[in-house]
Amino acid sequence: MAVFESTEKFEEVLGGFFNLIGETSLVADKLLKSKLIIRFNYTDPDLVLLIDCSGDEIDIRAHDTDTKAIVEMKMSADIAHKFWFGKVNLTMALTRRQMVAKGPVPKILKLLPAIKPTYAMYPKYLEENGFSEYNIHS
Amino acid sequence: MEKKQKNGYAGKILFVDLTSGKIETKPLDADFARENIGGLGFGTRFFLDAIKEKPEFDALSADNPFILMTGPLTGMPMNGVARWTVCAKSPLTGFYGDANIGGYFGASLKFAGYDGIVLTGASGHPVFLYINDDKVELRDAKEYWGKDVYEVTDSLRSDFKDRSRKKGQILTIGPAGENIVSFASLIHNKGHAAGRTGMGAVWGSKKLKAIYVAGTGKLTPANPDGLKALRKKLKKVYEESIFIAAMQSTGTTSHMDVGILSGDIPIKNWQMTEWDDIDELGPGSIEEKIYAGNKTCFGCTVACKKEAEVKDGPFKIKKGPAPEYETVATFGTMCLNASIESVAKANEICNRYGMDTISCGSTIAFAIECFENGLISQKDIDGLDLKWGNSEAIIAMTEKIGKKEGFGAVLAQGSARAAEHIGGNASDFLTTVKGLEAPMHDPRSAHGYGLAYGVSPRGACHEASLTFEVEGGAMFIPEIPELSDDFPEGSEGRAKLNVAAQDYGMFFSNCAVFCNLGGAPLNATHAVDMVNHVTGFDYTIDDVMKIGRKVWYLKRGLTNLFGAGASEDRLPKRLMTPMAEGPSEGSVPDMDLMLKEFYEMRGLDEDGIPGKEVLTDLGLDELAELLSIKQSSEL
Repeated sequence: MAVFESTEKFEEVLGGFFNLIGETSLVADKLLKSKLIIRFNYTDPDLVLLIDCSGDEIDIRAHDTDTKAIVEMKMSADIAHKFWFGKVNLTMALTRRQMVAKGPVPKILKLLPAIKPTYAMYPKYLEENGFSEYNIHS
Repeated sequence: MEKKQKNGYAGKILFVDLTSGKIETKPLDADFARENIGGLGFGTRFFLDAIKEKPEFDALSADNPFILMTGPLTGMPMNGVARWTVCAKSPLTGFYGDANIGGYFGASLKFAGYDGIVLTGASGHPVFLYINDDKVELRDAKEYWGKDVYEVTDSLRSDFKDRSRKKGQILTIGPAGENIVSFASLIHNKGHAAGRTGMGAVWGSKKLKAIYVAGTGKLTPANPDGLKALRKKLKKVYEESIFIAAMQSTGTTSHMDVGILSGDIPIKNWQMTEWDDIDELGPGSIEEKIYAGNKTCFGCTVACKKEAEVKDGPFKIKKGPAPEYETVATFGTMCLNASIESVAKANEICNRYGMDTISCGSTIAFAIECFENGLISQKDIDGLDLKWGNSEAIIAMTEKIGKKEGFGAVLAQGSARAAEHIGGNASDFLTTVKGLEAPMHDPRSAHGYGLAYGVSPRGACHEASLTFEVEGGAMFIPEIPELSDDFPEGSEGRAKLNVAAQDYGMFFSNCAVFCNLGGAPLNATHAVDMVNHVTGFDYTIDDVMKIGRKVWYLKRGLTNLFGAGASEDRLPKRLMTPMAEGPSEGSVPDMDLMLKEFYEMRGLDEDGIPGKEVLTDLGLDELAELLSIKQSSEL
């Protein structure tokens, strides 16, 4: 059974987390430096989230399928949820096509050290925002 | 085999006795080829045949045979099949040793007409082996002895450039091999290394400086149409592989950005898994500061090899082979050395002198920790201030090791013997298994690696099986359940993973000699089909697993024969110390669980030795007999 019961709930949880990332300079500064525009295409439930790092601030836009993204990522919501806990072996997920990434590989790889602090942020965010039922550490 | 066989093999083996100077060529037996495939499938058999009458000998004696074998695919114009193999008794560990290397040498040897070379004895004076198609001679190496790898490579190529219409390929030792540095390596084309277990010291003890080979022949696959169709099918597989895209763009150093997420990268001699300065050694920094181009191996479009140049400063180097991930970690993160330029310099020193960068860098990191803890003083180490991050001292010590000069002579024995020399609690800082320094992948982040390092016949090694590739995620083999499972955190299920990864890995990396990088996107069907299309054999996946299993037991049995037992299958204290923080916080491999399960699955007795029936069932009766004699003599 999927972790998130609906697109709306998934958007509320993950969209809110992405907003938090955008406001956390430890992560946001590196993302802004990359100038990347990344579209996450999730399934089960379906959701599109775009992270636009091309401007002065991180802009998170749900359902944006029009903006030309530099990186396109595709994965299930369950994989995404597990990923933000640091519980997904990224290489394995990409090899087994549980995650599919399209875009300039060096730029994709450069994102990884930038997002490492988020692994500690996600469970804390879930607890503090009324989403503790999704926290695997609870 | 027939002179013009169409099966990928060249059809002949060279036998060179360095003591007498006798050179013989023998045909490659077709049944032998089918039963053993190639690479170390051949090499381990030739090795056992050479030592079975006198299995006790010193690794630096004339009695230590050195075997070089290509695979059936070496020389084919396909991705990830340029590699070839070497084996001998290791001067570093005293156990069975081998190494695997890419480039162009293997292809050239096959074009010259030889699938491999068996070298025995030792020369009384420096020699090199000259192979130019049918012309094979031992020649005086007086003018090359003492020169570094780059000088010898350039000289040999220049000296013989008009002798063949094909470019000569050179495999050579540097001063480290001549000086018998225990982890001296063989270097081909300046940057391809048969790095691990001290094969360069074996050559040094034999006074063999180099092998020069030029070959004008051709290799023909048994089923060229089948191979062509497979190549077409694999085009899409390679295009969609992000692992291959990473190799093409930044090479193995792309792992610096990935490994840090899981705590895979050892930092400060395995004491840390997080470091603020790590980006200084990452692909971004490499691209900005030292990147100078791409290189590849024969026939491979992946081109994962990179070039580096440091234009000025104290670590200036001309354009040449760039450091791989292992080197960036051993001379960089392991030493808390954030200068990528100095890492490039250390890499060049190791290439020029002919030294294994993993053992060298790790041994220096070990020495830094000994210095920090007052076990060695600045006076002991020739005035060097060997502290964490002191790039100049690290570089100076690297060179001293290659020259075996001052304290460099102590470290040139490898960290395990250096710890004995230093005394005190130096052994607490070791990261060796069976005397071989561990590679740069932390078993506390992936417990299967711990078992892989422990039971590897050649010592701590992430390429002694495909455990690293599978548990780490770069390879997915859906046809073999143990290699396509999910791997939950912890040590459960890792014994069966290791067994399958060894059996398949011995076929894949050791016998067929696929490259674990360029061949990573292949599943078992692709790999077996490719071997069948080239050789004309009709292997099934089960067939190749059985051959792989036999090769694993051969290697294991040889290492047992040379004295390794159950106590050598354990990880050192440092790798069993949990991290206090970071992605692998609190996690250590459960070696008791994994070894118990593994020993049961492999039929190893309490001393870690394969049972007689296990070996005889695999047709390894001679090995079983040798082990039985040894065990009886010890009672």
